[in-house]
Amino acid sequence: MKVEISRRRFLQGSVAMSIAGGVSMSSSSMMASAATPAKKVGNEDKKIATLCEMCVNKCAAIAHVRNGVVEKLDPNPLFPKSRNMLCARGNSGIQALYDPDRLKYPLIRDGEKGSGKFKRVSWDEAYAYINEKLTKILDEEKDNRSTVAFCAGEGMAEHTFKSFFTMFGSSHFLNHASLCLATTVSGYSLTIGGYGIADLDNAKYVIMAGANRAEAIVTPDTMDMFKRTNGRGAKLITVDPRFTNTAAKSDKWLAINVGTDLAFVLALTYVVIKEERYNKAFVENYFNGFEEYKNHILNNNYTPEWAEKITGIKAKDIYEVARDFMAHAPQAIYYQGRRTTWSKNDFQLRRAQAIFSALGGGIDVKGGICFGKSLPLVEHDAVAPMYAQAKPRIEKDEAAVVGGSGSWVAFRNMVLENRSPYPIRALFNYKHNPMQNMPNNAKTAEFLKKLDLVVTIDTMPSDTVMLSDVILPECTYLERTDPVVSYGGIEPSIAQRNKAIDPMFESKPVMEIMRGLSAKLTKPLFEITKKYDEDVQSAIEDDDEETVYAEFDLTKPFAHDQAELNVNAVAKYEGAADILKEKGVFYPNMNEYFKKVGVNDYEYYPEHKRAYSVRNMKFNTPSGKIECSVPALAKKGIDAMPVWRSEYEMAIPAGKFRFITGRHAQFTQSGTSNNRLLLNLVPQNYAWINKRVAEKLGITFGDKLEVSSKIGKTTIKAYPTEKIGPDTLFFVHGFGVYSKALSLGYNNGGNDAAIIEDGIEPMHGSSCLHDTIVEIRKV
Amino acid sequence: MQTLSLKKLFNFEKTPLNVVMAVTTVALLAAFMAGAVAYILHGHHVYNVTRQHPWGLLIAMYVFFVVSSTGLCIISSIGHVFGIPEFQQIGKRAIAGAIITISSGFAVIGLEIGHPMTMLIYNVLTPGLTSAIWWMGTLYGLYLTFICLEFFFLAIKVNHTFSKLFGICGLLVGLAAHSNLGAVFGFLVSRPSANGVFYPVYFILSAMITGCYLIFLMYGFRYKMNFPEKVSVMLVKLSKILGMLLAVLIFFEAWKIITALYGDMPERAETILHAVKHPNFWFGELILGMLIPFTIILLSNAKAIKATVYASISGMVGIFFMRYDLVHDTLLYPMTTLKRSEYQVAPTFVEYFPSAAEFAIGFGGIGLALFLYYVADKVFNLDETTQH
Amino acid sequence: MARYGMALNYKNCINCRACESACKEENGVLLLPDHYRIWVGVKEAEGQFPNISIASQTYHPSQCQHCDNAPCQQVCPTNATYYGEGGMVMVDPTKCILCTYCINACPYDARYVDNRTNTVDKCTFCSDTRLANGETTTACQATCPTKVRVFGDLDDPNSEISLLLANKEYRQVKEHLGTKPKLFYIL
Ligand code: SF4
Ligand code: SF4
Ligand code: SF4
Ligand code: SF4
Repeated sequence: MKVEISRRRFLQGSVAMSIAGGVSMSSSSMMASAATPAKKVGNEDKKIATLCEMCVNKCAAIAHVRNGVVEKLDPNPLFPKSRNMLCARGNSGIQALYDPDRLKYPLIRDGEKGSGKFKRVSWDEAYAYINEKLTKILDEEKDNRSTVAFCAGEGMAEHTFKSFFTMFGSSHFLNHASLCLATTVSGYSLTIGGYGIADLDNAKYVIMAGANRAEAIVTPDTMDMFKRTNGRGAKLITVDPRFTNTAAKSDKWLAINVGTDLAFVLALTYVVIKEERYNKAFVENYFNGFEEYKNHILNNNYTPEWAEKITGIKAKDIYEVARDFMAHAPQAIYYQGRRTTWSKNDFQLRRAQAIFSALGGGIDVKGGICFGKSLPLVEHDAVAPMYAQAKPRIEKDEAAVVGGSGSWVAFRNMVLENRSPYPIRALFNYKHNPMQNMPNNAKTAEFLKKLDLVVTIDTMPSDTVMLSDVILPECTYLERTDPVVSYGGIEPSIAQRNKAIDPMFESKPVMEIMRGLSAKLTKPLFEITKKYDEDVQSAIEDDDEETVYAEFDLTKPFAHDQAELNVNAVAKYEGAADILKEKGVFYPNMNEYFKKVGVNDYEYYPEHKRAYSVRNMKFNTPSGKIECSVPALAKKGIDAMPVWRSEYEMAIPAGKFRFITGRHAQFTQSGTSNNRLLLNLVPQNYAWINKRVAEKLGITFGDKLEVSSKIGKTTIKAYPTEKIGPDTLFFVHGFGVYSKALSLGYNNGGNDAAIIEDGIEPMHGSSCLHDTIVEIRKV
Repeated sequence: MQTLSLKKLFNFEKTPLNVVMAVTTVALLAAFMAGAVAYILHGHHVYNVTRQHPWGLLIAMYVFFVVSSTGLCIISSIGHVFGIPEFQQIGKRAIAGAIITISSGFAVIGLEIGHPMTMLIYNVLTPGLTSAIWWMGTLYGLYLTFICLEFFFLAIKVNHTFSKLFGICGLLVGLAAHSNLGAVFGFLVSRPSANGVFYPVYFILSAMITGCYLIFLMYGFRYKMNFPEKVSVMLVKLSKILGMLLAVLIFFEAWKIITALYGDMPERAETILHAVKHPNFWFGELILGMLIPFTIILLSNAKAIKATVYASISGMVGIFFMRYDLVHDTLLYPMTTLKRSEYQVAPTFVEYFPSAAEFAIGFGGIGLALFLYYVADKVFNLDETTQH
Repeated sequence: MARYGMALNYKNCINCRACESACKEENGVLLLPDHYRIWVGVKEAEGQFPNISIASQTYHPSQCQHCDNAPCQQVCPTNATYYGEGGMVMVDPTKCILCTYCINACPYDARYVDNRTNTVDKCTFCSDTRLANGETTTACQATCPTKVRVFGDLDDPNSEISLLLANKEYRQVKEHLGTKPKLFYIL
């Protein structure tokens, strides 16, 4: 085939320019003749197998690198989880790599906190600065390691950062779990013994409530689901206060009142129990406490008619869905969902969902919720040191069960409100943006200002970065090799991100940052421990100091090169290390199993090798059965069985709206707010407001609105639409950035962190994202 | 040809009208230059044309000029080609006008076409024989050559045989070129409102009308409304022709609209309905361009020449709207009515308003024409030279 | 000779716009207004909340139809638009004079002015960026999560696209104009 003109050449040009700091394209002149076709420089084209990190899914990608420039990311068909695809964000990874606003050098604050003034320093100066501050703090706090908190955003190198946290010995690790899916994971785990994997490739009936798989892409769920909707094998029922893209692909869309899903599930349960439509054999054999649950549901009269008043969903529809679900069971799934903490009842909602799914018997079977298999890696354990002075988590009693990732909101608020039993003085932050991802950013800002030392490792100058004292530039995912990861599932595999190009500017992978920082800190910090820790003192008396220090040596986890560690991690699979380096993906018998079956389609495992059923009907719960009731929780004030409480009903005063947030397929929370390609697709977020309500208020498309709640306000353009109800207001998360250093994201659209109230639910202290009443004003 | 010094060239009688005309001409010329500079510096960005509305005022003005040129050529041919004696006198003036208007048109289109040089090369190397633009452009090139030769033999080296010969050639080629220009629009299968036989024929008709208006204007200005007997006889006749042409045009338009609306054919009916409801049509095209001149001619039995001169101003403004609407209405209906993004109102009729640069170049072209006409009038004797 | 076309399982489309971004990256399409070779038409839902017609909201992944009888080609005065190998409708930027007649003539809004070359640009079925390098898929096809597109040779009776078209019902866009478009929307 003839090569007409290489567009790549231009691309390269634009990439090179953005590296240089963003040169705008000049236009052509009248006489400018068309550019002459450029020959492709074929030989230097390298193809590197990497993994996308534009979101949590980690799709396998092939980076095309020419002359040291990443020119294109293509999907890597080998990875069963990502099924040969890259979404819009995955394709835009190049723009994240070459974003002119990237953090390029270590920086130290050089002005008031929040002033945005920083000075460029060397890595060593940055480490020295941290060392100086930290030793002072720890000395003053008498080696209470918990005075320093650690938080991390999701990512493949989170583990590396967490090793540092573990070695450091603080009690405070915080991540997105309490702002996201903690309740769902535990709700399903405590009930059916795991969050599970919805087998959407084989399910025949799926209820997606609040989950928006067409727009919030989850692999392989999204890909499996929508090839089979619209009468092609899978019935999809979408329950959502908004008519989402997922709703548009459904057989039925049930517009539900915000925060009332629990009533809906209880009514579904009522129907199947009352009409005895559940899978009797399954319930008899594998349910624990069914009678109790049955009586609970029936005695409380959770009828569809009752639920209609609460949810706004017609009783008739509830009957129909309940019956249909069971007619298709066990290939019927009440989809678990992600980013799920909406309101106070969320944990109970997830329990009810899990039990309802299980009533159909669709657990650990093909077409139901599966658990899959995993391919274990060789873990090398490092012994974590014990610090006698380290005090326990401050927010441990703020909710029934505060787990290893804490309750962010409770933690922050305790510090702010001086309710902490001891001072919290420093924060190490890896790639996390609490300023945007935690409700009530005014409080977050105050919190960050209150701390004596905030060290942030990130690629972009986010709102949180701007409120930090020390900024350490990490390289982007395309510039680093990350820890190899095993992805369990129905079709398990191991995947590895390989470095496509060397880190740009002075950025470094987090492994190297941790190595440098720990080398600087290890001795001085040990001195402080020595000074205050009697156990250590006596240990030194018993052994020699060197032996004791070895245990506290912060540098231990970072001694080795990442690539080297990866080789060891997969040592038990022959040839895996090389295959991972070359192809990015490995699983046993891949050569034999992996087949191309069409121009677009691949088979990863033959049908009989897929891990649909693995539990042998023994679930990972205390009783080994589906747990209808969890009495242990009752002692902590958590209902043992899902109960609808009247306080769950939230009145919406006339003229006001209940605010909800969510996702579009083109953005990943706040992480993509400055991505020029994605902003080219969707330039900003808009507030969805019911069309008829807007009309009454004289609001038309594009009008500027001020949206305000009890805690703050934000400005955003209006999008009147019939796809949302009259008392609900919605806009997608991640916009309206405050940081001026993000030139495209700054002040672009509305910021939900400014208006969402910071209430938490009682189980894990997860923040309730949909419990805010807002009002609007045209500006 | 008259001998001429620069001083003489820029010397004219300072009547208020002349001064106004001079100031207007200079202002428009300056605008043209400014627009051209803006375009050369910034390219197409200075125009408000978009993907959905790729043609705009400049194409309209180009059509305006070439319609004027063809019209003048046709009207002039009544005299020196077809030999109707009263019309012999307008030959030189009309042909000069034809050359000037088409040159102005080329100047405008030169600033619209992205790569005029490429055009000159590949028009010849790889001609697109199915392209109405190719035929139109090529024929107009030829046409310009012919009418220049015609003018040469009319005004510079007088030779009636040759002038007549080239006149006929110019006329035929001009008619072919012009109907091809109509076909540029008529061939657009994508645009039901424009597609079909209407434009190629309508273009010839409206060219003749434009020619009449321009003759009235040129003579009105030339004689400051004091027409010699011979001229008024000619103008009365011309006025009758004009009246008749306008009547035909009104019929044409009426039937175009009726057939377009009848049966409510998708895209076409909506587009035409939207177009006729716009003041550009009913006020600009209909009232200014047709009804005012037609009424004056009708009521005065074609005798009110002075009034017709004024009506011709109104007529020419109307002709401008006809050209503008020709382009805009053709592009009115979006080729896809689906949204491309969530946050967008579904596309309806495509909107367009010319940018400052487009106005500057488009109307500046009129300045160019006026200036060239002024020069031509000075350099050549455009009145009839007494012969026989 | 091959005659390339594309079948679209458009019911799979979730309007994620991965295809759009992949096309931009693959073909270096500038991130400017009007610059797009591919888009997803959204037919907005009808009805009033909560009675919205689900079927009314549909997504129409779109790009150049590579018409067998392409109006854009017919109107091009310099033959800058031509039928390339495999029946693909291509633009030669060295010959394009930017009269934009083709943009007016295309019934599908598939063309735009490229700011880099100041000539008209459009979907090439990735023939220069991918097919020329031995790939067999287009960027928009390869990246799609739900695998909407099937690109292939219509003249080869055994190609996946031919089999698909032989066995499924499909519709085309504005084929009444006689353009003989080569995008086939599988019903
Ligand atoms: S879903 Fe998209 S952003 Fe997430 S990993 Fe996959 S390609 Fe990347
Ligand atoms: S990538 Fe596929 S699913 Fe996404 S918008 Fe394009 S065609 Fe639709
Ligand atoms: S879709 Fe438009 S640009 Fe593509 S071949 Fe057809 S007419 Fe030409
Ligand atoms: S085939 Fe290639 S050029 Fe055409 S729309 Fe798809 S990615 Fe873009």
